[in-house]
Amino acid sequence: MRVGVYTVKAGGRWKLCLSLCPELDRLWWSGCFLGGQTHMPAERMVMLSESLPLGWAVKLWEHVGSHSAMEKWTARSWHACMKAVLNPELREEEIAGGMLIGDWFKEVAEVPGFTDLQDGEGRAGRMHLTGENAGTPVYLDNLSRAADLLVSMLSGRSLLQNEVEALLEEQAADAVQQWMAAAQLAYLQGRLTLGAAVASGLGSRTEGWAGARLGVVRTALRLPQLLRRGAARRRADMRCLRCGSAPTGRTPCAACGLACCAYCEACLALGRSRACALLIRSAASPAVRAAAAGASPTVAARRWGLSAAQAGAAGAALGFLAARGKRAAGRGPERFLLWAVTGAGKTEITFPLLDAVLSAGGRALVATPRRDVVLELAPRLARAFPAAAQAVLYGGSPGRWIPGQLTIATTHQLLRFYQAFDLVIIDELDAFPYHNDPMLAFAAGQACKRDGVFILLSATPPRKLQRQASFGRLPHARVPVRFHGHPLPVPKHLAMNPVHLCIRRGSLPGGLLQALRRSLARGAQIFLFAARIAHIEPVLVLLRQVFPEVCIEGTSSQDPFRSAKVVAFREREIRILVTTTILERGVTVPRSDVYILDADSGLFDEASLVQMAGRAGRSKEDPAGTVMFLSPQWTRSQRKAIAQIRNMNTIARRQGYLKGEGHQ
Amino acid sequence: MTPLSGWLAGIRSLLAPAGIHCLICGHNSRPSARLPGICAGCEAGIPWISRPRCHKCGRHVGCPDCSRSGQSAPIVCNRSAVAYTPVMRDLLGRYKYRGHERLAPLLGQMLDSAYLQLKAYIEHLQYPPQVPTEKQNKYHFLRRKTANLTIEWQADLLVPVPVSDSRLTERGFNQAERLADILSRLRGIPQLPLLIRTQHTAKQSFKSRAERIADMKDAFAVSPDEQVNIQFSSRLSTVKASGRPLQIIIIDDIYTTGSTIRACAGAVRLLCAGYGIEADIYSLTWARS
Repeated sequence: MRVGVYTVKAGGRWKLCLSLCPELDRLWWSGCFLGGQTHMPAERMVMLSESLPLGWAVKLWEHVGSHSAMEKWTARSWHACMKAVLNPELREEEIAGGMLIGDWFKEVAEVPGFTDLQDGEGRAGRMHLTGENAGTPVYLDNLSRAADLLVSMLSGRSLLQNEVEALLEEQAADAVQQWMAAAQLAYLQGRLTLGAAVASGLGSRTEGWAGARLGVVRTALRLPQLLRRGAARRRADMRCLRCGSAPTGRTPCAACGLACCAYCEACLALGRSRACALLIRSAASPAVRAAAAGASPTVAARRWGLSAAQAGAAGAALGFLAARGKRAAGRGPERFLLWAVTGAGKTEITFPLLDAVLSAGGRALVATPRRDVVLELAPRLARAFPAAAQAVLYGGSPGRWIPGQLTIATTHQLLRFYQAFDLVIIDELDAFPYHNDPMLAFAAGQACKRDGVFILLSATPPRKLQRQASFGRLPHARVPVRFHGHPLPVPKHLAMNPVHLCIRRGSLPGGLLQALRRSLARGAQIFLFAARIAHIEPVLVLLRQVFPEVCIEGTSSQDPFRSAKVVAFREREIRILVTTTILERGVTVPRSDVYILDADSGLFDEASLVQMAGRAGRSKEDPAGTVMFLSPQWTRSQRKAIAQIRNMNTIARRQGYLKGEGHQ
Repeated sequence: MTPLSGWLAGIRSLLAPAGIHCLICGHNSRPSARLPGICAGCEAGIPWISRPRCHKCGRHVGCPDCSRSGQSAPIVCNRSAVAYTPVMRDLLGRYKYRGHERLAPLLGQMLDSAYLQLKAYIEHLQYPPQVPTEKQNKYHFLRRKTANLTIEWQADLLVPVPVSDSRLTERGFNQAERLADILSRLRGIPQLPLLIRTQHTAKQSFKSRAERIADMKDAFAVSPDEQVNIQFSSRLSTVKASGRPLQIIIIDDIYTTGSTIRACAGAVRLLCAGYGIEADIYSLTWARS
């Protein structure tokens, strides 16, 4: 889109502003809207352009500061200033076949009616500026009420223009008719920020001497960048402010009229973010202080029915929450890792934390990678916190714009928030798609308030986090034991030919069959993990030959009946389920044994081996399941997985969490 | 992963054939030879309409519409590149609604195959293949050359279906115009935005057949742009000299009931009548539902 750009002199300083509705800006700076807010009426106002591509307007806003000489600047000086700032863009535009450099910025003009302000002419005298009924008190009153409503609905949001329109349509019906004018008013009041969705990532102007020094240091450190010039350098600096990726697309755009308007290809699925797309964000508000009262671990443990191990971890996390206020704010949200073994009851541990933040009036977010987890979690949290307004967000969810005190969302939905939450809990941070996706990590960072807190949940944190935790650089708490207080089943290794060889020979090795027979005899459900989807079908055939009386099924990511089969497996209609890593997480089947074929495969890393092993022995009735790694080779991943499981059991034993071994 | 295996993987990737990030399936795989930006597997899955069942509207399945409306349609015939299957619908949706403009060259290239089909069909109508006589065979080499020269058919003008101004600013581009642009570059046929949309109709995809047809009446008008009119009349003068009707192709992304195309063709026909010239109007769309 295109916006107006002007500068005003107010309180002795020059200030450059964007305008969605220049009429309103003239009113504002002439001193209307004095009720309630106090702001300086402008002494002078120079309209730089009635309609400039938004991206360029934002760049001007970022780069043009106040200067004492501006008092004497003529239209030509302003023209030269804009040209100097936008030189790379102008040149790129000319090369791409757009307007010539000389044809831009022809309409710089002083807005009349401001210079005579010092004469003490009254407010009524300035009203003639608009010449319409736009200046009537009723209009102004309505507009400021609309702005209030808009600000409250957009709090913590980061939305594109069409998303704002969708939100208003759903949430406010017709209450906000001229939302552009209302947004402009809120912007002038400093309650909303207007920007381009793809811009040079500065976000705000670096101010004062400290900013300048930082700039110098940054330039010095990135010396090679000096060699890159013009467009190449600018392109490198551009960022999609919503997802943090570098914009890769550049096309002619009918909305701003430029021949090369950049857009971001990484987050297209949530609406296109481009250099001329309006991104509206609410101004950040400070995080709430979590109430220290009522947050004592023992009280929390009793209230939420936590085990000793769970309560210990929850206590550590609560302590972290409460201590946050003492630390220096401004270095971004702080992280806390909750490293809980599979089946430890991670969700319950977060309840006291959510409670602390919600009861202090803050907003909390639980983000999980998958949609079905969101759907499973929502009713549980609704039961635990009936008083908190809940918003459930995933791709295609109904009620996308409902404001919630407690938000449960898939990680992609975080792109629509900006410094909204006091507490962000990220579940299974090592799982797809959150893991290794810088876009989602960026989105999560943006969604949390600067002085908010991140709680990372995982049974198998990535190596980097594990290292940070063990060196003491990352505050963390471990839950080394399952909620039922029994140790994790330690995997055993059984040497076996690779599966493809068994398939070719048409027989499975006796060791495996014997173990399976034992499991079946004790009435266990059997997970049989294969490394490749292609192996599932032949293994099924071989197994059915050996166990004709047992119901055996296979499933994979390509199976449309997957959820039905998992249900049947849980109901014990299916006794053996042959599957891939698709079922490594989030499936709880009572009384189950786990067999991992080709455990030396490169597709199984330490984390997925631990997760698969974690499917066994989850219920209180059958806490000791069998876990078996079957492979010709004994690999590093298998060794490390077993070491991790043993380590957790050792810690649990040392801390006295294991049942039957006594509490000290 | 040990450092050594990392190195080995790096070296192996140097020796591996170049893969591309396929625009349809998103996997890294062997690129297609014909179409830009997609893998060979996805290319094989494209539901080309290579033999339309209905010669009038280019539909791949039986078509009651063309036999139902007895009146003479304003277009000679329509040709479409692909059938509008769910995969293709998703592809078009990603381009048109989500704005994945990297898909434009791919879609344009696909539209080109529909153009070739249209061309073959018209040449077949105008110059039905003759049974080669012995004499022709004798001078085969020369005959073929002269014969080819007379048979070559080419359109004179591409006219994209316009979108309304508000949709244009919302979307940032007109998909039909982008497709026409690519075809124009590939085939050397000029394209002109002759038409504008006078009414902002709601999205076609939410409407029934009858609603669409009623809506489309008077939805298009001739562009008031001076520059366009000058270019059009200069184009006319070159064709007038040859004495044959003007060959115009209307370009759009999808043909569903054909009401949009017919309305556009009506507007173009009026314009040509105003200039006192006869015109054969065809249409090309990327997909046919």
